[in-house]
Amino acid sequence: MSEGRGTSRLWTRREFLATSAGVGAGLVLLGGCGGGAGGGAGSGSGQLTFQTWASTSGEQKGFRGLVQRFEKENPDASIKLEIVPGEQQYTKLDTRLAAGEGPDLARMQYQAIGRYSSQGALVDLSEYLDGDEASAFTPAFWQAVQYEDTPYALPHHTDTFAVFYNTGMFDKLGIEVPKSLDQSWTWDEFIQVAEQIKGEGVAKYPFAMNWQTAGAAYRWMSFLHQHGGQLLNNDLSGPMIDDSAGIETIAWNQSWFQNDLVPPSTSIKSTELIESLFANETIAMMLQGDWLIPYLVDSMKADWGVTYMIQDVEMASDMGGNAVGVTRDSENPELAAEFVKFIASEEQMAQFCVDAQFIPVRKSLVKQGLDYSMRPKEMTVFVEQSETVPETMAAEQTIPKFNEINQVLADELELAFKEGQSPEKTAKNIASETKEILG
Amino acid sequence: MTLRQPENPATKDGGAPSGVRGWWNRNQRLLIPYIFIAPNVVVFAVFMFLPILLAFYISLNEWTLIGFPTFVGLSNYLDMLEDSEFWRAFYNTGVYTVGTVPTSIALGLAVAVGLNRKLPGRTLLRSIFFVPVIISLVAVALIAAWIFNDNYGIINAALSAVGIGDVPWLSSARWAMTSLIIATLWIRLGFNMVIYLAALQSIPTELYDAARVDGASGWRRFRHITWPLLGPTTFLLVIINIIYSLHVFDLIYVMTGGGPGFSTTVLVQYIYQMAFTEGQMGYASAIGVVLYLLLLIITVFQWRVTRQSENV
Repeated sequence: MSEGRGTSRLWTRREFLATSAGVGAGLVLLGGCGGGAGGGAGSGSGQLTFQTWASTSGEQKGFRGLVQRFEKENPDASIKLEIVPGEQQYTKLDTRLAAGEGPDLARMQYQAIGRYSSQGALVDLSEYLDGDEASAFTPAFWQAVQYEDTPYALPHHTDTFAVFYNTGMFDKLGIEVPKSLDQSWTWDEFIQVAEQIKGEGVAKYPFAMNWQTAGAAYRWMSFLHQHGGQLLNNDLSGPMIDDSAGIETIAWNQSWFQNDLVPPSTSIKSTELIESLFANETIAMMLQGDWLIPYLVDSMKADWGVTYMIQDVEMASDMGGNAVGVTRDSENPELAAEFVKFIASEEQMAQFCVDAQFIPVRKSLVKQGLDYSMRPKEMTVFVEQSETVPETMAAEQTIPKFNEINQVLADELELAFKEGQSPEKTAKNIASETKEILG
Repeated sequence: MTLRQPENPATKDGGAPSGVRGWWNRNQRLLIPYIFIAPNVVVFAVFMFLPILLAFYISLNEWTLIGFPTFVGLSNYLDMLEDSEFWRAFYNTGVYTVGTVPTSIALGLAVAVGLNRKLPGRTLLRSIFFVPVIISLVAVALIAAWIFNDNYGIINAALSAVGIGDVPWLSSARWAMTSLIIATLWIRLGFNMVIYLAALQSIPTELYDAARVDGASGWRRFRHITWPLLGPTTFLLVIINIIYSLHVFDLIYVMTGGGPGFSTTVLVQYIYQMAFTEGQMGYASAIGVVLYLLLLIITVFQWRVTRQSENV
């Protein structure tokens, strides 16, 4: 068997190849290991990472502006803005926290705070605050960032729902919209308008509600509260949804689907984007949030307007919006808290809300109104509407296990809307599963 | 020239080499193959084997990712037996698999046989069929969602133009699964076609010539030559397609979100929902383990059946 020539060399060719293959493998592994550790720690004393999503260009502009202005005021600080797609925000945050490499700062919906604060993932901000925050913020939103009476994030902004309508179709049918908040349509009046639209056939379907996808099922709770109902009892220890108010609300929403008032594709577990249906005039009205205004300005050819959210025995509109908190993995919580206070300050909150077309959560800003560049008349409706977010609903939606209850709402309401499950059974199922979740 | 023992610098006196050098000299032929496969094995162990073991372990716990795991033994598995949503997802996954696997393989075979002969534009046609395979699944799902959209999708627009009414492609429980299967077939066809094409080209043409001389028709040639010789390929494709179908997630999540109702919720989506929406990593891992065992059983069963038929 020939070993080749040159056997008097130190290494044969085979040995050389074998050794370098092994060394190469070792280097790849080491390189892989080394890269992972770099995520969490900053390289200097003033570096922070801020993980957020920004679904519209306005939001992106808003966040970049905040970062720039903070860095200008604090030249030794630098903030790395990490923008991820909306659906990935929590998944990414969870996995980073599990690895001990959470970002310094994270944006989250009010409904998501409870899960993180109750498991110690967010830093208690009380030692960094001045103490006058409680009275400065709109009550529902200050309530929303508390866990066991301690603030774990600061409210940043909100958005809420109102009724968008196609002005051309309304003019054609001679429909007049309510001119003030207290004159907003009642449930009956709203259905009357819908039936009129359906009867005259000006649009394929009268309206649609934005509660897609399963993660947004909690938006149904606005209707529950409008009808005087509650998801949970007053001390948040057990369900209250299976009372008559709950059952009637479910029945009312179910009737939309049974009576063809909404497109069948707009139930909860759907991927339909109702703003597209509104923009291409498939529907004449939509119950939708203010953050879609930039989309409509860009994409909708027909004229549209906004009127107040519907009411029943009470007024209630969706608690949208987000807060920003400091995660437990932050190595510089003081600086991070400074940034949170900065963005929640009056001037910065005003600027961000104007950039991103959101609603402020400071009482002073709500009172004075903001100078929106896009559709200011319509934004005034939303700002007024934001004060109708019930504090009870805010408390319900911010309990630690709300995400599990939200999934139950999605599952059961979907069955009621799409498979005709009776309202009684739906309410009973939601109540019993909620009881199990709350323990 | 006579062969002689290579001189070993370590032992000038020409005796048996000792120490590490000696050990290496004696065993290098045995060890070198292992060194070459070592990188691959290590990567496989770290990124596949280890997570599978971890998943087994996590399935015996309750864990929210943010907090710490608590050991609960087999209770996740017991809960699964009583979870009607799990069984619904299981059933839907089965329906989806039965709907996509035989159809996509049959279509792939048909197209492969068709494009195996000399046709003008054959290469272009083959490329057209294969392109869906390399497009991102999410992109396909988004576009499919628009095409199948009840209200403004192209399909319904075309149906209306010829007088047939709208079909509730994505908003009715009955049609949603069908739409998903159609979208899947579009993607999988190309992959199966390419594999079959490669296999078809390895069938010796003399067999066909001989059969033709004996007077066998096209169908008989297919049934008695092509089909049996494609046996191993078919087996491979059945396994691969079943694995793909049992793993489906992106396409369904983007097209229907698991709705309407529960009609298109599949196992992997249920796992995702449990793990990340509801923060129940332990339960999600348990379902993952069940899925893994299911795949294992299917693969072993297939393998046995094929081995037996080869022995006959």
